[in-house]
Amino acid sequence: MGNLTKEQIQDRIREEAKKALATGEVSCVVGWTKTRFPDKTKPFFAYTDAECDLLVWNEYCINSTAKYALDDRYPEQKIGLITRGCDSRALNRMLKDNQLKRENLYIIGVVCDGKENPVCDGCQHKNPLTYDVLIGEPVEETINEKRFTEVEAFEKLSADEKYEYWAKQYDKCIHCYACRNACPACNCVECYADQYRVGWQGKAADREQNQVYGLTRVFHVGDRCIECGECERVCPMHLPIMRQTKKMLKDINDLFGNYECGLPDDSKPVLGEYKLEDPDEFM
Amino acid sequence: MARIGVFICHCGTNIASVVDVEKVAKAAMQMPDVVFATDYKYMCSEPGQAMIKEAIIEQKLDRIVIASCSPRMHELTFRKMLKGTTINPYMLEIANIREQCAWVHTDREKATAKAIGLVQMAVAKVAKNKPLSAGTIPITKKALVIGGGIAGIQAALDIADCGYDVTIVEKEPSIGGHMVMLDKTFPTMDCSACISTPKMVEANAHPNITLKTSCEVEKVSGYVGNFEVTIKEKAKYVNHDLCTGCGLCQTKCPTKVTSEFDQGMSKRSAIYIPFAQAVPSKPVIDANACLKLKDGKCGICEKVCPIGAINYQDEERFTTEQFGAIIVAIGYELVNWEEMYPEYGGGKYEDVITGLQFERLVNASGPTEGHILRPSNGKEPKDVVIIKCVGSRDPKKGKSYCSRACCMASAKHAHQILDKIPNSRVYVFYMDVRTPGKGYEEFYDNTRKDGAQYIRGRVSKIYKEGSKLIVKGEDSLLAKPVTVEADLVILATAMEPASGAYELAGKLGIAVDGDNWITEAHPKLRPVETQTNGIYLCGTCQGPKDIPDTVAQASAAAVKVAALFSHDEMETSPMVSSVDPDKCSGCGFCVDLCPYKAISLVEYAGRDNGRKVTKTVAKVNEGLCQGCGCCNAICRTGCIDLKGFTNEQILKEVDALCL
Repeated sequence: MGNLTKEQIQDRIREEAKKALATGEVSCVVGWTKTRFPDKTKPFFAYTDAECDLLVWNEYCINSTAKYALDDRYPEQKIGLITRGCDSRALNRMLKDNQLKRENLYIIGVVCDGKENPVCDGCQHKNPLTYDVLIGEPVEETINEKRFTEVEAFEKLSADEKYEYWAKQYDKCIHCYACRNACPACNCVECYADQYRVGWQGKAADREQNQVYGLTRVFHVGDRCIECGECERVCPMHLPIMRQTKKMLKDINDLFGNYECGLPDDSKPVLGEYKLEDPDEFM
Repeated sequence: MARIGVFICHCGTNIASVVDVEKVAKAAMQMPDVVFATDYKYMCSEPGQAMIKEAIIEQKLDRIVIASCSPRMHELTFRKMLKGTTINPYMLEIANIREQCAWVHTDREKATAKAIGLVQMAVAKVAKNKPLSAGTIPITKKALVIGGGIAGIQAALDIADCGYDVTIVEKEPSIGGHMVMLDKTFPTMDCSACISTPKMVEANAHPNITLKTSCEVEKVSGYVGNFEVTIKEKAKYVNHDLCTGCGLCQTKCPTKVTSEFDQGMSKRSAIYIPFAQAVPSKPVIDANACLKLKDGKCGICEKVCPIGAINYQDEERFTTEQFGAIIVAIGYELVNWEEMYPEYGGGKYEDVITGLQFERLVNASGPTEGHILRPSNGKEPKDVVIIKCVGSRDPKKGKSYCSRACCMASAKHAHQILDKIPNSRVYVFYMDVRTPGKGYEEFYDNTRKDGAQYIRGRVSKIYKEGSKLIVKGEDSLLAKPVTVEADLVILATAMEPASGAYELAGKLGIAVDGDNWITEAHPKLRPVETQTNGIYLCGTCQGPKDIPDTVAQASAAAVKVAALFSHDEMETSPMVSSVDPDKCSGCGFCVDLCPYKAISLVEYAGRDNGRKVTKTVAKVNEGLCQGCGCCNAICRTGCIDLKGFTNEQILKEVDALCL
């Protein structure tokens, strides 16, 4: 990116991964490796120098690496992560949510020019925001003018039309929780949906329970969504899940001013803190 | 298997006239686990309570539902009743079928169906109730009074006389408030300063009272019995521990600005004691006016001060103190009539003044030493117009409420003019004359006998012709336009809440109404309490009122505080939150959101991936928790539960109604 070619970046990633392992402080480096399909990569954990040479960097490095850090919340050694702008915001999300400790992470930031992923078109953070070492020259960021265009169009539908639309979507949903598993904001130790309680989230994959799950999910992540689009990408039934979180973000934007999550500042999610100047016209 | 008893109250005809109570009782008998249901005229009365107690024994009840008024009204009554029985006081649920049903509906059939639904929910919830027991916490026996007007002073004196410590926080350099600005007080015409300044002095001298002038409340945390209040002391630039109040500095100060105390009708120096009887009688420097502080020039006060009390480097200071109770007595301000009524000149005619300005004009210590003179030319006015309800009872331009004190204040002003200026004529434009108070109507009658002409109608325009003010209005009793050539016009402007009332209410966690007046807990039965335990109110911050009402309310609030302080410790509610540490993710959202700072993150020995690890989890301090439930709402895992309102209970209620 910028001053480096893809191959150069790949070489630098391998080099930095090896360097990190060589310090003895980092147990493994999470990145991507090739698969038997030329247009697919898969997440990959490199524990040795030889494995580091299997790390790749191309337009198909799509999966987010960040959430793998949650697999070991109390690591004995640091976890190394190849991190793009979106991954770094995911890490910031989990750091702010107290789920990770910065000292347990070794972040190899890579300036990213977008992947074969529709969500990359609206990327506002090509440069990693948090890193220990950066590969590539930082580029100028662009503002996504179309951030809420789709939501604005959808808002114009009547309540009945909207309900019908979502009812149809939730008839498709198979209640697999893939969206939750991929989401960096879904980072509870034990998800409410996994708990067994009478009258709680039903486990059946019918419209009613799917809707309860969908609605609860969007309120749980609504003000913390980093807009990485992983939920929608991993959905096997192709539900437009991002439309819900975008609606939440748009409303928050309208009420509380320009709002974006996952930035490395000490701001808090708006719905998780109370301020005297919060809008309260509805009261 | 629970044995639930359901008791339906008629509340006289309050409930029974709209809800078919017998039908509700019959329906309740069919609900799960209900073994007894009945209705009675007054459940809260002695025989009503006796009936419940009897049913508990005879029917071997282990929990009860009472369908009656709001739990705010009688939940405590019934809990107290249960203390003498075999049932734990928290094995009780109230179904509110009065405020939330009978009072808001007229259709008997539908209201009855709703009442059955509400009882159904309460029955489902009570089945999951668990016995709870209250703990105790100590009380800090020290009160904070915010505002040093007559309300605050009276409340502080009464509490102090009961033997408890009181701190008065006043934002101005002196206590006294508005009352000390007034000349005479209606209806007895005693001198306002003569009756209020002794109280100010008494407050200053009282061993139990600490005065904090030029101070404001910055931050409030904690809860009844144990508030933690951060007080901001503004920079005074004068060391009050050294200053003797000799006043030399203010006579030598070269900078003169308009006096707030004289309502802009005289000048004061930049270093100033606000008025002659100020308490404390020590000066402060107005940083916006002082040449030394603005430009670094001058410094005369420092040179003339015989004891070196002047300190130009003074800065604002913050102190944090513990208080057991807080009284809000922040008073009122007058509305900005200039903006509201451009047709009255909008402030461009000097001879159109407010009632408060007239008080200064007629006051012996005022700018004219008590002579009523026209501000424009210093001559005595002969024709004076008084306009009432300027900003009050005028929802289109001003406030919709009545400011209550102005009818009498205007009658007093008319009387004073007629008394002091021979052959003067006073015209009072009014909408209604409201004189409900002891001796008020008689005072108004006397003013009319003195010669004041009362004209029923509003004034539409005031303009100047030569040195005269032409007042155009309507006499609505004669249905004729009226024109008066006046020398002086006095506006009875509306009261509005003191600036900052809304922000202060936010800091204290108490409610305000649409006009920003502070809301009392109950308009009739709890008039000096706020919705927040341990915070009380008195005086005009609650709504417009005159001095007698203010003082009465102040003493009432003081009794509430004294009653609280008469105990060494108080019972805490057992309806508090608790965290399941194994489910908690330690995200800490509840910590930030808790209004009582009752939650903190602590270390906890847990397990992760088969290993023993030290987790960070939330923990509730049960002494601080007020059971508001904010943490429950924010907890995504659902690992926080509020005792008495558990997730399970609430889901059961929803199911009972919807399934």
